[in-house]
Amino acid sequence: MELFRKDIVSQLTVYLKSVAVVAHLRLMLLPMVVHLAMTSVAVADSRGIGIDWKEAAEFWAVQVPQIQSKPEVNFIQWPRQRMDFFTLSAMEKQSLSPASEAPRGTLLRRLYYDLTGLPPSFEEVNDFINDPAPDAYLQRVDRLLESPRFGERMASMWLNLARYAEDQAHQVGKDTKHFYPNAYRYRRWVIDAFNRDLSYTDFIKLQLAGDLYDDTTHEDLVAVGFIGLGPKYYNRGRLEVKAEEWADQVDTVMRTFQGLTVGCARCHDHKFDPITMHDYYGLAGVFANTELVNVAYDKPADQVSKEDLQAHRFTAHLVKDKDGEDLSLFERGNVDQPGEKVPRGFIQWLSQDQPVSFNSEGSGRRELADRIASNENPLTARVYVNRLWSLFFNRGLVGSPSNFGVLGERPTHPELLDDLAVRFIQNGGSTKHLIREIVLSSTYRQSSLADSKSLVQDPENQWLSRMSRRRLSVEMWRDSLLAVSGDLYLKGGPSLELDDPNNVRRTVFARVSRLKLNDLLIQMDYPDANVHAAKRSVTTTPLQKLFAMNSPFMLRQSDRVVEGLEDMTKIEDGITHLYRRILSRVPDLSELNLATRFLQKEDNPAPDSKRWGLLAQALMISNEMLYLD
Amino acid sequence: MNTLNRSMMNSISVSLSRRTMLEKTAAGFGMLGLAGVAASRANAATDQDHLPHQDLPVKPRAKRVIFLFMNGGPSHIDTFDPKPALAKYEGTQPTGKLYKKPKSSGFMPSPFKFSHHGQSGIPVSESLPHLAKVIDDCCIIRSLHTDVPNHEPALLQMHTGNIQPIRPAFGSWLLYGLGTENQNLPGYVVLRPSPNIVVGPALWSNSFLPAKYQATSILTSDLQVEKLIRHIRNPRYSLREQREQLDLVEALNRKHMEARAGDSELEAQIRSMETAYRMQIQAFDTLNLDKETESTREMYGKSTFAQSCLMARRLVESGVRCVTVYYTNKGNQPWDTHANHNASHTKLCADSDKATAALITDLKQRGLLEDTLVIWGGEFGRTPYSELRNGKDKPAGRDHHHTAFSMLLAGGGVKGGMVYGNSDELGMIATERPMHVHDFHATLLHLMGLDHEKLTYRYSGRDFRLTDVSGSVCHDIMV
Repeated sequence: MELFRKDIVSQLTVYLKSVAVVAHLRLMLLPMVVHLAMTSVAVADSRGIGIDWKEAAEFWAVQVPQIQSKPEVNFIQWPRQRMDFFTLSAMEKQSLSPASEAPRGTLLRRLYYDLTGLPPSFEEVNDFINDPAPDAYLQRVDRLLESPRFGERMASMWLNLARYAEDQAHQVGKDTKHFYPNAYRYRRWVIDAFNRDLSYTDFIKLQLAGDLYDDTTHEDLVAVGFIGLGPKYYNRGRLEVKAEEWADQVDTVMRTFQGLTVGCARCHDHKFDPITMHDYYGLAGVFANTELVNVAYDKPADQVSKEDLQAHRFTAHLVKDKDGEDLSLFERGNVDQPGEKVPRGFIQWLSQDQPVSFNSEGSGRRELADRIASNENPLTARVYVNRLWSLFFNRGLVGSPSNFGVLGERPTHPELLDDLAVRFIQNGGSTKHLIREIVLSSTYRQSSLADSKSLVQDPENQWLSRMSRRRLSVEMWRDSLLAVSGDLYLKGGPSLELDDPNNVRRTVFARVSRLKLNDLLIQMDYPDANVHAAKRSVTTTPLQKLFAMNSPFMLRQSDRVVEGLEDMTKIEDGITHLYRRILSRVPDLSELNLATRFLQKEDNPAPDSKRWGLLAQALMISNEMLYLD
Repeated sequence: MNTLNRSMMNSISVSLSRRTMLEKTAAGFGMLGLAGVAASRANAATDQDHLPHQDLPVKPRAKRVIFLFMNGGPSHIDTFDPKPALAKYEGTQPTGKLYKKPKSSGFMPSPFKFSHHGQSGIPVSESLPHLAKVIDDCCIIRSLHTDVPNHEPALLQMHTGNIQPIRPAFGSWLLYGLGTENQNLPGYVVLRPSPNIVVGPALWSNSFLPAKYQATSILTSDLQVEKLIRHIRNPRYSLREQREQLDLVEALNRKHMEARAGDSELEAQIRSMETAYRMQIQAFDTLNLDKETESTREMYGKSTFAQSCLMARRLVESGVRCVTVYYTNKGNQPWDTHANHNASHTKLCADSDKATAALITDLKQRGLLEDTLVIWGGEFGRTPYSELRNGKDKPAGRDHHHTAFSMLLAGGGVKGGMVYGNSDELGMIATERPMHVHDFHATLLHLMGLDHEKLTYRYSGRDFRLTDVSGSVCHDIMV
């Protein structure tokens, strides 16, 4: 009976996760599956007795990805890159055909935002449109990949995974000792790591255990801020509070790097994945032996006083190992019910030919980093490659980027995902190499306007027969408004408040708070910095529009754009000027007419700067400015 | 693209809105068990239409909630839970398992006289004369308990169900489950009489729920409408100029959208801009207390808290789903009376009592009380024994007390003139029909027509609820 039931559960789950099932059916059937699953897991205990490990090893995500053969396609002229054969083959199976290539102006705008988070200027667009060189696009790709702006754009993605923030959700009185005023050092490191195309292997190792490798440079030491900037909860001396902090660390590390929701196994074995409480406490033990510390960074330790440390002067927020001591499993997650000791180790599911336990004298963090960064790890490259993919196509090949487990979504293009993952490893874990292939592909260069078949048959665009239209992130939107007015100041360093009227830096350099996240960030879907955020949601609210309509920021930026405009002799010249600056293009005739009529509303042949400001703001808050085709 | 006929366009926008619904509100699999309302939720997600109540899993009794939150924790034995036995044990040191060793002169009876009020004859302390007059509309719960007698975790638990700050607040859960009734106002409003509140924004955080379920927090210390909601008024342009500007924006957006096959997301942006424009006018009107008569304003009282209660009434009257009014003043948790308890308690009650009773009366007169739930209480109660923080010579205080405390409920389908549960004879422990915060939340959601076990959101691989993994609905207090 148990076997039978398990079978139903897995079959139903696979069925429900299959992309063919319409959404509302999923909603209706899922409770049933959950119920069945809950009754079936009763057979497993905290060590996973009762889990059929052989069967578990057959799950797609834990099998080592293999290089795939290039699929046969009919439309042989279309593919430009290897990946195009995979996407085209999938389209052809669905009887879909790719959209035509995006107009050059649209394509360049897309490329600029995707690689730098900033719009191209009108001149840059125009140069590209008129550039006859066969490698005109390639030249732009390579130039933008080398731009320092690239790392800033990529960091926006990574910092949300790392739940980057500079303070804590709690503040008792005026006590700021648990805050992280020097968190920006970690942010700077992340930006720099993307810019120098640090191999993903090193990117992982340095963030998890940079302090434990002998050859780590002084600059790379701050990378452990990934853990060292974690939440510190109220009353953190107490065991149950410590247990919460370890849970955050297990959750953040395992979802970011492995796409597994191990945190679920804290109080009971995972209900869907073969992840046991034993697995959880093996990992939690690693963090129970890791201390979050503020250490001298800008100056030798002996020159930094206790007062300096307390005031966070010259420091960085890092971690250090304690004596390795195994943790007791807490029955039902309750710290008052300690059970057996669990050796620190990795999870059984990903340890098929290797011992689970680390046998480490330290925390086991280095062993953990090695296991995650290993080329044999079946999830590491897949999860990362999928995250990169979703930056360009609005959706990952796996739609649940931080959950590759049983309840996560199945890849739409499993062969492509594997092929990309294997080649990513072969290319030394180079982020830029992979991104270069993506943006050079025919898949990426498609128009977002498609035939009705593509829209009707595939509204979610999972078969990629067009480009998905995207709303700009809050960083891109605010940066653009500063850029088009010429105010944007391209320098990083310690964080500034976003509300500070003098803050004209990129949004990625704004202070991120766990205690009180900036209003604009909250309104524009920047995630809560208390927890790992798998991806951004996109919501549309009137409060966003109140900011666009009425905020001093918007008024100032529109003022800056129209400076000097009222002196223009011809109204059309002024309008064209605004279109060029704000939307990087010239207006068409109907747009010229609309704007002219607006400017001359009260039979005023010479509109004043106020009227020009209203027009500029209208363009700045239009959907064209907010969306990327 | 122009060849698309209308029906095709409709089918696209339908399927897109379903996609939108799945991605943006429920993360695909978030809404286990709410399958029956999936269709209505699609509306709530894209249109934010008011969800028809008959589609809810549970029969709704209340449509709106006002939570009057007494920051710091009001004393139960000085308000709604009379303990005459304290006189007998006065000066005796408490025994049993205590959270911490008290610095106390022993049990301390309430100096406030309790007498029976209304038809129901519920005993109310003389510190609350106005509430005593409306007690027949109120249900007193005497058996609440929470996990930790410290402000931060207890505040978080009362707001989010969890003692650590990483969960959505009840108001966000309500919006997620029900949507809002008025598109021109935020659905969840937090009124703060002073800037600082212990814990702060984590108390009204949408956390991992999508941003559309966020609270709008309003500082009420300055009642000038321009100051109440950020960016609610353009500092430079008149409404007429702005109207002209937005007409232009709409024309540009329509043109942009036409070339893009009528993408429903672009349409949503256009609508949202219109909503924002109307919100300026509506919010301005709703938040403007000058529209109230002097006698109404007088009935509530003139303190910032009292005027905030009046504002809460105006907000729910306009269709806001959930309003929390915090009781703070110069201090960020005035009810935390560790010293000089009796005098402070008297003063705080005088203000809070009058405003709360006025709110109940006002709602009732307007026919709103029957589907508006009013809650009055704090994060915990106070010890039945004294606390001598400032030494023996100074007037005694009372410490935090989490194993029994009281809460007042009125309207919204709750029985009036009722006392539910009880603490032991000294007010130490909830003994009779104890109600944990999770039970309280389960009951609150049930009153609003939501099943607390089914209102889930998938996050980090599991389905989260306001009530975590426990909580049972208390049907006994419902009409």
